[in-house]
Amino acid sequence: MSQGETFDVCIVGSGAAGGVMAKELCEGGAKVVMLEAGRKVNLGELLSHKWPYELPYRGFRGEKQEPFYQGDISNSISYKDSDDVGVDRVRILGGRTMHWNAVTLRYAARDFKEWSTQGVEEDWPLTYEELEPYYERIEQIIGVCGDDDHLEILPAGKHYLPPIPWRCSEHILKRATAAMGIPLIAVRKAVLTRPYDKRPSCHYCGHCMDGCDVASIFSTPDCMLPKARATGNFTLRENALAREILVDDEGLAQAVSFVDTATRTEQQVKARIVVVCCSTVESARLLLNSRSPRHPGGLANSSGVVGHYLHGHLGNSVSMYLEELQGNKPSNQDGATDHVYIPRYNHLSGKSDVAGGWGMQVNYQSYMFPHHAHGVRGYGAGFKRQVRKMQPGYLQMGSFAKVTANQKNFVSVDPSRLDANGIPTPVVHFRFSDNDRALWHAANQSMLEVFSHLKGTVFPSTGKAPSGFASHEVGTVRMGKDPRTSVLNSYCQARDVKNLFVTDGSCFTTSSEKNPTLTIMALSMRAADYIKDRRKRGEL
Amino acid sequence: MERRDLLKLVALTALSPKVNALQAAAACHMEAASAKPQPAQLKLQFFSEEESRLLDRLMEMIIPADSHSPGAHAAKTNFFADLMVATSDDAVKQQWRDGLRLMREESDRSSLGEALRKAAANEGNPQNDLEQFFALLKQMTIDGYYTSATAIHQELEYSGNSYLPAFPECTHPEHQG
Repeated sequence: MSQGETFDVCIVGSGAAGGVMAKELCEGGAKVVMLEAGRKVNLGELLSHKWPYELPYRGFRGEKQEPFYQGDISNSISYKDSDDVGVDRVRILGGRTMHWNAVTLRYAARDFKEWSTQGVEEDWPLTYEELEPYYERIEQIIGVCGDDDHLEILPAGKHYLPPIPWRCSEHILKRATAAMGIPLIAVRKAVLTRPYDKRPSCHYCGHCMDGCDVASIFSTPDCMLPKARATGNFTLRENALAREILVDDEGLAQAVSFVDTATRTEQQVKARIVVVCCSTVESARLLLNSRSPRHPGGLANSSGVVGHYLHGHLGNSVSMYLEELQGNKPSNQDGATDHVYIPRYNHLSGKSDVAGGWGMQVNYQSYMFPHHAHGVRGYGAGFKRQVRKMQPGYLQMGSFAKVTANQKNFVSVDPSRLDANGIPTPVVHFRFSDNDRALWHAANQSMLEVFSHLKGTVFPSTGKAPSGFASHEVGTVRMGKDPRTSVLNSYCQARDVKNLFVTDGSCFTTSSEKNPTLTIMALSMRAADYIKDRRKRGEL
Repeated sequence: MERRDLLKLVALTALSPKVNALQAAAACHMEAASAKPQPAQLKLQFFSEEESRLLDRLMEMIIPADSHSPGAHAAKTNFFADLMVATSDDAVKQQWRDGLRLMREESDRSSLGEALRKAAANEGNPQNDLEQFFALLKQMTIDGYYTSATAIHQELEYSGNSYLPAFPECTHPEHQG
């Protein structure tokens, strides 16, 4: 990167959205520079296969996850007047694609039409049919395993890799779901079940969330960025923490100022187009910190909507120890964490008192630690024997439910509270709605109902109230039809600043119960197509 | 997977252009991960020798050695507790210091076994400081023991954290829906 060079596009952030954008634009002939606040962590540096007793605190203090949270990212945030929520901001090349479970579910047609179908929130400014080709393309690039289950609530792709084989407990679980008349399907994950795109198949170690040390799980550094690099059009700046997007006299984006956190120097990169992909909270933070005479309330914020409509997922978890598996000889059940999935089904029974639904992920926790030991009463030889006997029966389930997008929930920045590089930090303000609480209770009850059809010991959730966002926060720079309640058009383009795009989860209008990453990538790819087209026409 | 199987897999992979070389890299990585860790420095950082001995006895009573595997004493769970408490805030340190003192006092009045039985009397709904300390003590014992090599490999016979070329689907007829 030479001083004074002007790139066609500057992408801020290298996660799911930024990776797709870089690949697509570079292959389209654009000169792209990517700013990433973290650094690359080589696969060999990951601690995924470390035993607990090889870690200083046996892993109880997040030692395995340290590579994902570089610098002061964990501390540079605060919560004010908030319910029990936490936003997950990672800092590493690849963003959350380095630290995820890789469940990749398409939104259904109705998920884009909350107002039309349920009379809540707003409809998105685009339809499933418009996004469907991008889902298909993305799935083929990243490699998704699964089946076509012919479910309207969970549209399927045409090019899935073979599904992951099921565990004993999952076949047993099928009895319960069959008795309830609800589907239990093979999970759809960006995990390779056969070698694909020069990446190896999964080796079933159960450490998906600790980082995949062989790139069997999709990540941008191992899948998207090599493709971008191969074009000769790609420049990567690691340790580049964006401070502000700078504008010209007309208020258009013209450069991004950043701190090189390795050298502690202030730098700038010029670009004709800026694409923000920093994740929900950080993207809002960057825009709100980009104040200028043309944009006094923050960049692209004439509506005052930037930062607002923060939402995500409600999470909850229950576990059970199946009677018929207890006492069995222990076997290796780790696998690729989730192997099956229970799609949303509360919409099938007609009118519901709550808006939205939930899906259930199954067995996404490791089998190494006997979680039930904390719930088994007593001590001594009997206690030890009971813990050992129960462990092979482990079956765990977690629900992910939609949170309502509400204008009153927002991210602001606090100019008086700076991070280690002197950048104002974000403040989260969030309260659950009555619908959120009702949905959380309903999801919890439904998991217990599923387990009630099976024999064994159930450990219900200890949570008494909803918590969020299960690392799935979205919505602070939303797209929409109405300029008064949205920042972006359906191509993730800022209405106020035509050469500014925001394509991470912050662009979501509303949320469904599905994990957001696949939709983030599809939206980013669609935005990339739009940018390529407008560049060809000379409009950008 | 045995070391010889891993090496065989690596060799086969190297010869086969159809199998991605990263498979071999994964196997090699697993071999490294399976290596026995260096013994930790067993030097007390917070508890006194006397406190640590008391803790060791209590933890062994909670998870004792039996014919199947060694218990908390052999797993040196008291040293895990020492590290965790030593690196916690002052309030936590005080809880442990006070809790062990209560156990010692109770033990002096009867026996350590009786003191532990009394402390565990209302598990789940503790009524006094001694009973509250039992919850803390048991949690620490569980966390330390079940993350030790002793518990993972001997007690629970955990066989994961390994390299599988394929995941074995459940084919047990009795488990099918």
